[in-house]
Amino acid sequence: MAKKYANPPIVEALCEFRLTPETRWDLTVPGLLYEKLKESFPQKDQRMIQQMELTQGPEGLHQQIRMSELIMFRTEDKKILMQVGPRLLTINVLKPYPHWDGFKPRIEMAWESLQAAIEVQGLERIGLRYINHIELPAQGGKLAEYFEFYPSIGQRLPQQMVAFLTAVEFSYADGRDHCRVELTRIPALGGRSLFRLDIDYFLARPGAVKPAEVLAWVEEAHSRVEEVFEGCITDKLREMFEEVL
Amino acid sequence: MLTTVFLPGPHLKTSVTGSQWTRAEDKPEFPDISTLPRDLLQSFWPSLLDVAFSAPQRGSKSVVIDIEDLMEYLARKVRIEDPNLIREYLSQFTGLLDVIPEAVNAAKKQFPEAQLVIDVYQDPEIADCYLVLYIRLKHYDDSVIERLEKAEAEFLSHLVSKRGWIQLTTDFREPEGDDAL
Repeated sequence: MAKKYANPPIVEALCEFRLTPETRWDLTVPGLLYEKLKESFPQKDQRMIQQMELTQGPEGLHQQIRMSELIMFRTEDKKILMQVGPRLLTINVLKPYPHWDGFKPRIEMAWESLQAAIEVQGLERIGLRYINHIELPAQGGKLAEYFEFYPSIGQRLPQQMVAFLTAVEFSYADGRDHCRVELTRIPALGGRSLFRLDIDYFLARPGAVKPAEVLAWVEEAHSRVEEVFEGCITDKLREMFEEVL
Repeated sequence: MLTTVFLPGPHLKTSVTGSQWTRAEDKPEFPDISTLPRDLLQSFWPSLLDVAFSAPQRGSKSVVIDIEDLMEYLARKVRIEDPNLIREYLSQFTGLLDVIPEAVNAAKKQFPEAQLVIDVYQDPEIADCYLVLYIRLKHYDDSVIERLEKAEAEFLSHLVSKRGWIQLTTDFREPEGDDAL
């Protein structure tokens, strides 16, 4: 990591692998994975999730809601979990962020366990996402004092904003990857000014990364996420996060 | 610049309006963070979220975002005693995320007149805690227990094989606070 902070704003970091439909998947896969991961992730849990699909047909746009089950494996302290769904594997680390040195081995372990359990034919999407909650002093101030990424409000527009969501998607590696960056203010108690900076770097071209290249992709993605994060904040925030030299 | 939301299917895009999406190089004035009212933010944000990010390409599966979505939902229907405690509990027992709305809906169905209150119960004697969804009524009658059992029956089976727990009950108190009925 280019910069390390003693007080990082990361509330969650996650790495997700979505496999192509050609990869064979059945109900035994979560069990096979658990066998390989249970020493580090002994706690099992599950939940249902809704997925909305929109498809463009000859008669227009069709909306379909599908239910699927996510199986979760957690570490004993519940701070790191793996979520396994149909052709889906996500590794989530919650606050306190164990830094890249601690997160990367978990990603490697998950990916290698998945490859040992099934034959991965291809990857539809890989994502490396960092969610930061940034609390600013209650007395307020200008966003520009803290961020280098925020909405621009022209002088002819009202200056009193009731809400904002700033989002852009950057292109990397000749369009193979995208990085979606969002900044928004989120509700908080006690008059606090709390912002969410969400950086999601992902494979935008399905199949463009081969299974053997996945871990190199993840390393590269991490470098890009770091660059974007540093590009979004000012020195004032760096001081608040307390860089470790 | 107007950002597009990507929906599944080749080259299918839709525009999103009603929010700021860009930063220009030469900004005449910067937004003041102290002028953003939180209550308006709360009412505005979920609708924007639905419009912009309901597509499957919405991003990797975040636990924190799922918890925040649930908290937004709860804030509209339930009195939340200690939001941070609820968040902390849910981050440890994420399996409950899909059951809680069922419990709230079941309680609302059986007790449309009630104030619902959600809290984390910490057992003082053993290291155990769980979520409690209280119903609070102006008047309690003999039907309360039966209705509680009916409501509980609607979601109890979904707690099987989950870690964590949500208990529907009453503390026989009257509704209180700004949202009291």
